[in-house]
Amino acid sequence: MIKKLFPLLIIALLASSCNSQLDEINKNPNATETPQPAYLLTSALKQGADLYWGSESNFNSSLLFVQHWAKIQYTEPDRYDVSNSSFTSLWNTGYSTLITDLNTILNFSDDQVNSNYKGIALTLRSWVFLLLTDAYGSIPYQEAGLKITPAYNTQKEVYTGLLADLTQAQSLLATANGSVSGDVVYSGNISKWKKLVNSLRLRIALRISDKEPDLAKQAAIAATVDAAGLLAGNSDTFQFVYASSPQQNPASAWFDTRDDYRISKTMVDKLYELSDPRLSVYAQLPSDASVGKYVGGANGLSNSDANSQGFAKTSKPGTYFLAPQSPAVIFSYSEVLFARAEAVARGYISGDAEQLYKSAITASLNQFGITDATVISNYLNQASVKYDATNFAKSIGIQKWIAFFGQGLDAFAEWRRLDYPVLTAGPATVLDGQIPSRFFYPGTEQSLNGISYQAAISTQGKDLLTTKLWFDAK
Amino acid sequence: MILSGSVLLLHAQQNIALHGQIIDSKQIPVIGATIIVSGTTNGTVSETDGSFRFTLKQALPVTLQVRALGYKTETVDVYENEEVTVTLKEQTNTLDEVVVTALGITKEKKSLGYAVQALQNKDLENTKETNLLNTLTGKLAGVRITNSQGDMGSSRIVIRGETSIAGNNQPLFVVDGVPVDNSQLNSGGATRDFRNAIADLNPEDIESLNVLKGPNAAALYGSRAAHGVILITTKSGKGQKGLGITLSSGITLSTVATLPEYQNVFGQGSNGKFSYVDGKGGGVNDGVDESWGPKMDGRLIPQFFSNGVAVPFVAHPNNVKDFFETGVTLDNGISIAGSDKKYDFRLGVNNQRQKGTVPNSEIKKTNFTINSNYQLTKDIKIGATADYIVTNAPALPGGPSGGRAAGVMLQFLWFGRQVDINELKKNWNNNWNNSYYNNPYWNAYYNTTSQDKNRLIGDIHLEAKIADGLNFRFRTGTDYYNDRRKYTIKYGTSGTPYGSYAEDAYTVSENNTEAILQYTKNLNKDFSLDALAGFNLRNRSYANNYQKAPRLAVPDLYTLTNSRDALTSSNYFSRQRAYSGYASAQLAYKNFVYLNVTGRNDWSSTLPSNNRSYFYPSVNGSVVLSDALKIKSKTLDFLKLRGGWSEVGNDADPYQLATVYNFQTAFNGNPIQTSSQKKLNADLKPETTRSVEFGLESSFWQNRLHLDFAYYNTNSFDQILEIKTTAASGYTSQLINAGKINNHGIELQVEGTPLQSRRFKWNVAVNYSSNNSKVKILDYAGQIQNYTIGSSNGVDVLASVGKAYGILYGTAYLRDANGNIIVGANGLPKADPQNRVLGHYTPDWLGGITNTLTYKNLQLSFLIDANVGGKLYSGTNRTGNYTGVLKQTLPGRDAAHGGLSYYYPGNLSSNGKKLLTGTSAPNGETVYDDGIIFKGVLADGTPNTTVISAQEYYKASYNISEAYIYSSTFVKFREVKLTYNVGKKLVKKIGLQDASLTLTGRNLFFIYKAVPNIDPETALNTGNGQGLESLALPTTRNYSLNLNVKF
Repeated sequence: MIKKLFPLLIIALLASSCNSQLDEINKNPNATETPQPAYLLTSALKQGADLYWGSESNFNSSLLFVQHWAKIQYTEPDRYDVSNSSFTSLWNTGYSTLITDLNTILNFSDDQVNSNYKGIALTLRSWVFLLLTDAYGSIPYQEAGLKITPAYNTQKEVYTGLLADLTQAQSLLATANGSVSGDVVYSGNISKWKKLVNSLRLRIALRISDKEPDLAKQAAIAATVDAAGLLAGNSDTFQFVYASSPQQNPASAWFDTRDDYRISKTMVDKLYELSDPRLSVYAQLPSDASVGKYVGGANGLSNSDANSQGFAKTSKPGTYFLAPQSPAVIFSYSEVLFARAEAVARGYISGDAEQLYKSAITASLNQFGITDATVISNYLNQASVKYDATNFAKSIGIQKWIAFFGQGLDAFAEWRRLDYPVLTAGPATVLDGQIPSRFFYPGTEQSLNGISYQAAISTQGKDLLTTKLWFDAK
Repeated sequence: MILSGSVLLLHAQQNIALHGQIIDSKQIPVIGATIIVSGTTNGTVSETDGSFRFTLKQALPVTLQVRALGYKTETVDVYENEEVTVTLKEQTNTLDEVVVTALGITKEKKSLGYAVQALQNKDLENTKETNLLNTLTGKLAGVRITNSQGDMGSSRIVIRGETSIAGNNQPLFVVDGVPVDNSQLNSGGATRDFRNAIADLNPEDIESLNVLKGPNAAALYGSRAAHGVILITTKSGKGQKGLGITLSSGITLSTVATLPEYQNVFGQGSNGKFSYVDGKGGGVNDGVDESWGPKMDGRLIPQFFSNGVAVPFVAHPNNVKDFFETGVTLDNGISIAGSDKKYDFRLGVNNQRQKGTVPNSEIKKTNFTINSNYQLTKDIKIGATADYIVTNAPALPGGPSGGRAAGVMLQFLWFGRQVDINELKKNWNNNWNNSYYNNPYWNAYYNTTSQDKNRLIGDIHLEAKIADGLNFRFRTGTDYYNDRRKYTIKYGTSGTPYGSYAEDAYTVSENNTEAILQYTKNLNKDFSLDALAGFNLRNRSYANNYQKAPRLAVPDLYTLTNSRDALTSSNYFSRQRAYSGYASAQLAYKNFVYLNVTGRNDWSSTLPSNNRSYFYPSVNGSVVLSDALKIKSKTLDFLKLRGGWSEVGNDADPYQLATVYNFQTAFNGNPIQTSSQKKLNADLKPETTRSVEFGLESSFWQNRLHLDFAYYNTNSFDQILEIKTTAASGYTSQLINAGKINNHGIELQVEGTPLQSRRFKWNVAVNYSSNNSKVKILDYAGQIQNYTIGSSNGVDVLASVGKAYGILYGTAYLRDANGNIIVGANGLPKADPQNRVLGHYTPDWLGGITNTLTYKNLQLSFLIDANVGGKLYSGTNRTGNYTGVLKQTLPGRDAAHGGLSYYYPGNLSSNGKKLLTGTSAPNGETVYDDGIIFKGVLADGTPNTTVISAQEYYKASYNISEAYIYSSTFVKFREVKLTYNVGKKLVKKIGLQDASLTLTGRNLFFIYKAVPNIDPETALNTGNGQGLESLALPTTRNYSLNLNVKF
């Protein structure tokens, strides 16, 4: 037995002396354990824009629901024939990439990053949470990133929490607090970030206006009286400008290789009806020159009916949206003006709602390169465009819907809230004539966070596309 | 145990004095053997030196029968008057069988407390499977092999069920003492597949293959042996007197075995309409890649090859089958072996050239092998082995990128039924659909995946006798390979208009060095001891470098610099090291009671320093009851009971302790760093697997019947699990030490010889195994109920607490309380928003039966195997129903196929379909005859009466996974083999030592299968996420002819 044990003893001694050597071997040479705040910030901006402007959450879902775009083949999503694995990237990227990276910035100690990084991170995180709750309803918020099976919060809790988060973000941001790099949107211009914070507060205030008018009013006032102000011109617009391939605009990348989408007939018809100068920006003429006019694709058709409209006889979205460098607009100046108009109309703040409404449309026309004063005034002076003070939701709803072209998630949220324009589900849709009111939760929530999920749907209602969310009062 | 007859000439006349010698396999003379001329009483008995001499009473040739106690009776044909040497085989009881056990140590099988099963060269060679694993299918109890992708793909092997929830469940392979890699690098999913690494070995080089089925058998291998070990011993020159040259030559023809059953009534299009202009929507439904078009009744319609001219629209029933070619594999090898007192050697070279069933696919493989030993001094022997394998695959089947543009079977499940494949073959610029596809020949010849692999497996070893009973062994071995893959996509390819080029290079190496002291001693008359202690050092490294030119600058030049854009690239490097010390002892009492104990301690680099060292013991024993109780009889030859308990530890993969941040391609000079979405764990502990095993071995009626039965119960604890978590936790997965999974099951092997006469023998071998698994705990906090093993098309494969490993979980039909499917007002079934358990993929039992019939020099054997129980999700059926190409989509498509008649009131489709009650529509509307009513009820419980079109009907369940769940049960006629051993006389005459001819057919046909349109054996890859069939390449049916000649 001694003979047996002896070598073992030697080995044991040898091995223990090799302990540090084994630690060294297991040091990961492929990635770093120490993140850089600037690199995380660039990541959040780039991946956030990809998510917001990309296929799954935008042009293959919300942009179809609001009938900005339509599918000319593979019409299942346009017919709402989708499953609970159809809306996973907003959830997964939103939480495990964007919120996690932004939380990493927030968790740095104060000597590692200045408070402007934290203010920006908190602002962007609020934006992501807002996208999530607008789309799904109740979502993990307070326990997100903290527990393995986080509980869901109601929309009311989330919106209220986000208003507080944005107030805190505003207090973290100050030009004097230090410089920020990696900011590929505002190039470290902190005053623009401060404007964005107020603008987001205003967006949320209106989101909850039908359910919590007092809180909405309070938030709208806070957002508009803050000294930093709101986005004050198209140069303040919060947008991610893409570069050339492979860092190109996601819609541009899609059209490089595929031909699945057309601008929606609903949008084209509306723009024709209003003689809207944005039509030639939003749409291309069909490739078959004999057509000679803009023709939208109808939403919610069967594959063969969609196909029979003719690939060459229908209009693709405008080249403005399909160039590699096309921007992903996330918060436009015109939206701020529409929001102010509505806040006035609702009596939250003082001002001239009609004038703000006109300015909002003008800002949108400018945004898309239409600057001719005569063209603009001719457009504004049409009876069909004029502000209707008796039904602000209709005027603002229709114009906001046009101005949001391409911003599927926000167009979808505002259409649900304002209920204008009136949209009709296509003939081959599968929801008994209804249009979706939300996204499905990812199916994996049922297996991975089942108890929290069941609790959430027991208060919110069945996990169906047609279940109305809290903020969507009507 | 080879029968050899050497004959010497004496007289050539009558009254011949025949003489010779009787020896046993150890060359020891056999005394008192009876030698008799068959059918006479003419004969004699051998002397003390084994010699004999007697006078023949008849003319040559004669047949001699030689019998001796303890030996098998042999018959020898004597043609000429020569010295006759007859080697008698010992009467092998199972009792005396010797098997290779852990660390390559040979032991008497009767002394082992666990199950091992051995296959010999004859069971493996001549089958000419290009993947070694496939030759094992159905031959081993408790071993499940699945072959995922046709004739050039990978196969997966699992012994005794999955014991690890998340990790690799495949056994460790050890070749001549060297652990070798069997990973499948970057499998690439459904469109393309690379062979698993063990397929590099040439089955002809293998002498024997021993399967150590569980932790009990494999405890000494430690960490990686929890899922069993396959020990491969390659051929050596031992026992080859003088020089032996063996030539082996074979040809195998392969055809695709299981293709979907297509319909040949309706062609491409939608709603019965189609006309081709540009193949992307310019014509009538010509962008549609489905077969819901017009009847293929010869009506005239412009098609893709007709330049706008209307030509007959007719079915091409074999347009998929005709794409596939007959695969040809040529196999040629030569080996030279020799030995004498001081040395033995074997050198071999084998070249295999395989043309696959997919056009342009080809794999060339050459194995160079050497196995040599040299007796340096009386006490020291040294040796070396090497297998150098050069693989060159100019084009593997399946394209370089996923998706529609590349997948072979994906395209063929959308392929218009009227498409004339010959028109596509004639001109690769012709294309039946420009929206989604390329011409399949364009894909096969231009968009290629190539592979170049160089691999060396080898060792040098030394054995030294230190003192009586004390031996020292040293071995250092390596398994090193470079695997370089190139992916080319041609300019002008649909979906990749500028083409692309990528290189993917891997270098994998594992080195093991071991030193072992072995001590054997008879302690006294009754007790003997066999002990060893050893040390092993293991180093493994892995490197991957991937670079891609996403869009080429100019066509047809495949270099990384020919790029319009910045290259995308990634690399990964890892290494790990483990030190191990181990010891074992076997105590034997009177050769019928045995006790074995083992212990091993590992120190692994992949665990945190305070958990790095872990020890695991095992104990097992056996009692040969037939000897111990002296109950041997004419009926019972042998009876042994065995049992054991063992524990095996396992470490983690490298770099699983600290969470990291990844870099992505920088944006305009701004680096991008982002969470890896995977939370790692600084406190990882080693995994533990505990196993109990009992067994019984017996043999009856002079070995006419053998029986081996095993029961095992295995529990795995503290498994290192990368659990999928909701992204809302901050990470999509987290690494935890968790889980308890139980596997228990039985294995039965029965081998018998129902008929045996002098010239004819019938042997039957049956194996049966059944494994039950249950996931007991995932995380100890009880928060996690499900672990996602894999997923495809919305179906998850889960380890779910309280259920069997590998349940299929996905969307089901919404049903009422009575189980009726609920249908909406639109006549379409509704999906249940709550996902449901749809089955589990693991089979209830596996079995195989081999019959071997031997008549003189002719041997015929055939193998039937069965896999009973288990479910699978079929992507082929799902897609094929959606596209309307399958025969099963015919019912209801027109009146002739039982379709209901309906019309649209006012001929407006917006008015909905109305079932026709009379013979014509009330206002003369157009009547359609492809109506079907989905069997189900409305929300209020009344039966559904809404008519929908067949096209809507067959598409309705596309997103309802339940509709495409099938039983995986099958019974397959796996292998038939006919061997002719050229008679000794003839062989001798042409100056050879041995010659044989073998005809083999493999994967011939299904006797039964439950799932239509696919081979249920096809699985996604070699991972654990099985049961998800997803448009895999068809498996092949192989016929081979093989010639072996030995000089």
